Amino acid sequence: MKQVWSVIRREYVERVKTRAFILSTLGMPLLMIGIMAVVGFVAVLSEQSERQIALIDLNGQLGERVQQALDRAGYDVELAAPGTDTEDLDQQVLDEELEAYIVLDDTTASEAVFAYRSKEPPGGVRSQLMRAAIVEEVVDLRLGQLEDGDSVRRLFQGGSLEYEPVGLDEEEAEEAEAERITGMITGIAGGIILYIMMLAYGAQTLQSVLEEKQSRVVELVISSLRPWQLMLGKIVGVGAVGLTQVAIWIGCVALLASLALPTLIAAASDFEELAQFRQYLPGPGAVLLLVVFFLLGYFLYSSLFAAVGAMCRNLQEAGQTQAPLIFLIIIPFMLQMMTFQGNNMQWMNWVALFPFFSPIMMYPRAVMGDVPAWMVAVSIVLMALTVWGSSWVAGRIYKVGILSQGNRPSPRELLRWIREA
Amino acid sequence: MTQNGTVVRLSGVRKTFGAHTAVDDFDLAIEPGTIYGLLGPNGSGKTTTIRMMMGILLPDGGSVELFGGAPDFARRSRVGYLPEERGVYEKMKVLEQLVFFGEIRGVGRSLARTRAEAWLERLGLSEWASKKVQALSKGMQQKVQFISTVLHDPELLILDEPFSGLDPINQDVLEEIVLEEKERGKTILFSTHLMEQAERLCERVCLISRSRKVLDDDLKELKRRERSGVVAVEFDGEAPSAATWPGVSDVEESGDAFHLSLHDGVRPEEILGAVLSEGVSLRRFELLEPRLHEIFVRHAGEPAEDDAPSQTGGGS
Repeated sequence: MKQVWSVIRREYVERVKTRAFILSTLGMPLLMIGIMAVVGFVAVLSEQSERQIALIDLNGQLGERVQQALDRAGYDVELAAPGTDTEDLDQQVLDEELEAYIVLDDTTASEAVFAYRSKEPPGGVRSQLMRAAIVEEVVDLRLGQLEDGDSVRRLFQGGSLEYEPVGLDEEEAEEAEAERITGMITGIAGGIILYIMMLAYGAQTLQSVLEEKQSRVVELVISSLRPWQLMLGKIVGVGAVGLTQVAIWIGCVALLASLALPTLIAAASDFEELAQFRQYLPGPGAVLLLVVFFLLGYFLYSSLFAAVGAMCRNLQEAGQTQAPLIFLIIIPFMLQMMTFQGNNMQWMNWVALFPFFSPIMMYPRAVMGDVPAWMVAVSIVLMALTVWGSSWVAGRIYKVGILSQGNRPSPRELLRWIREA
Repeated sequence: MTQNGTVVRLSGVRKTFGAHTAVDDFDLAIEPGTIYGLLGPNGSGKTTTIRMMMGILLPDGGSVELFGGAPDFARRSRVGYLPEERGVYEKMKVLEQLVFFGEIRGVGRSLARTRAEAWLERLGLSEWASKKVQALSKGMQQKVQFISTVLHDPELLILDEPFSGLDPINQDVLEEIVLEEKERGKTILFSTHLMEQAERLCERVCLISRSRKVLDDDLKELKRRERSGVVAVEFDGEAPSAATWPGVSDVEESGDAFHLSLHDGVRPEEILGAVLSEGVSLRRFELLEPRLHEIFVRHAGEPAEDDAPSQTGGGS
């Protein structure tokens, strides 16, 4: 066991020290912030209109409302005096006194169709923002003309499912609601963490195995260690690196949040509202379940990745050979994204029982309360059995593979490896 | 299991890679406390034989024993193995790498560090201790690897071509260490295609050619037996006319000396008598021992340093 510990430490220390780890750990959040900043900046920049935009209201109902709405959307628009001749405005555009002008007429008032007259077509952002602002005002105008306008407006807002607790007092009901929200946040975050860990760090296990095999260091190591000890040490070491990275990211988020907290406190009218955030933190049960799913899922995939690494001679071969594993990870993630978007279907609960899909699909369902507890239990048992079987197979492939310098084995040879190892 | 028993025993070992037979019907027994040389040209099966001893390859036939049993994990950990392929963790620092290898062989972390530092000092690598291995020259990497071979103080050293790639000075240093380890009671097996090296170091040699064992004997014994019947003579002053000597088939001049090849069955004393009867003053009369190289060529029918391409898939 002591030797396994040495392998774990080597794997961990050598990986955490690499530039790749530091860059990806710091780079990921910076990249996200950077992308958001750039996108925002570009959008603002492209929306700096060089010259004045005018607005002419031929209908007489919308002028001021639209001007205000466009103002809120960030456009400084000058409302032309009633009776202004559009030919004058055209001339001003040609003379480059105006950049463009918007014509609001009867069709606009009924169908939100409006003309944008300019020498240049509007950009994507501009047409989107202006259209949205004007549609909203037209809808508002027309609903206002209706007797039951307010109720139609609420209908447009999408309706609502009002949960009415039976046999619960108000406090308990609030707790249940908080739990639901917590479940959702935990489920989404947990699913993504599991996805990253299995995909990125499973693949790193492969790389680590392959490096040792290619440099033939493994022949030295294996004279002192049993193959399964080396494989276990690698998997644990690489997994610990992954956990460190996730922990740093969560830490960053927590740090940012706590920096923002004073502002929140200042902004919150009463402290009770703030205290509510606390109740959305996942409970120990959800965390424990995440740990269980993480251990099973990560071990399942990384042992198979290790076996793939041991089978191949170089990264190119490994790239092809690992494809089925990658699909097994990506497919449940896609299905889970559909679920997060609200397209959950009953049969997907059964798909989530498939052990290779369970980490990503069953964990979020479990914490969101979408599946009965027995299904979660069955899925954990199935996964444990699969881990047991796959690590047995992977261990045997690994044992033969790391010392074989020959061609990648055919499926038949692979079976022979497994039988004879 | 003790140092009293045979350390390595191969019986009828065979290994094939596809259609190519790398090692065929190979027997070998290494007694404790000896320096044993495994000699043969590249591609003759030395590395394959060694890899089978280390359990890296499994023989297709015959049996391999280490310390009187199967080469399992416990027995392998009593061996210090220097493979021909110099595998290292290129991105690890020298000292950290050595400590790691010490640790996985059961040496405590701090002891491993102390020993590694002492060895680095001895091999003149102290200032490289905290450099990455990839920054070192091939020769230096090889020395680092040698240190990792001996760090856990193994009973048996199996060194595959330990001297190749080293400059003469470092070859000498390594030879010295090998002899020292022998003095400390260790058993050493090394493979080489350099006959001179083997001649200097080995007590016993095993010659392999084309996947088969050709010779396996005590080196002194072998040389005595293999004496070729060549006598070197040197004279003070005028040499007698060589053609008149009886029993000599061929005379070759080598500097001041004459190398006389004797007919079969002619004893050197007869020549000595004949030479002395010529009334010349003799400075040197020596029965020439054959070089290992010659013995090898005689038995294997191929030059010992033939650079045959090594087989893919199984090493040489």
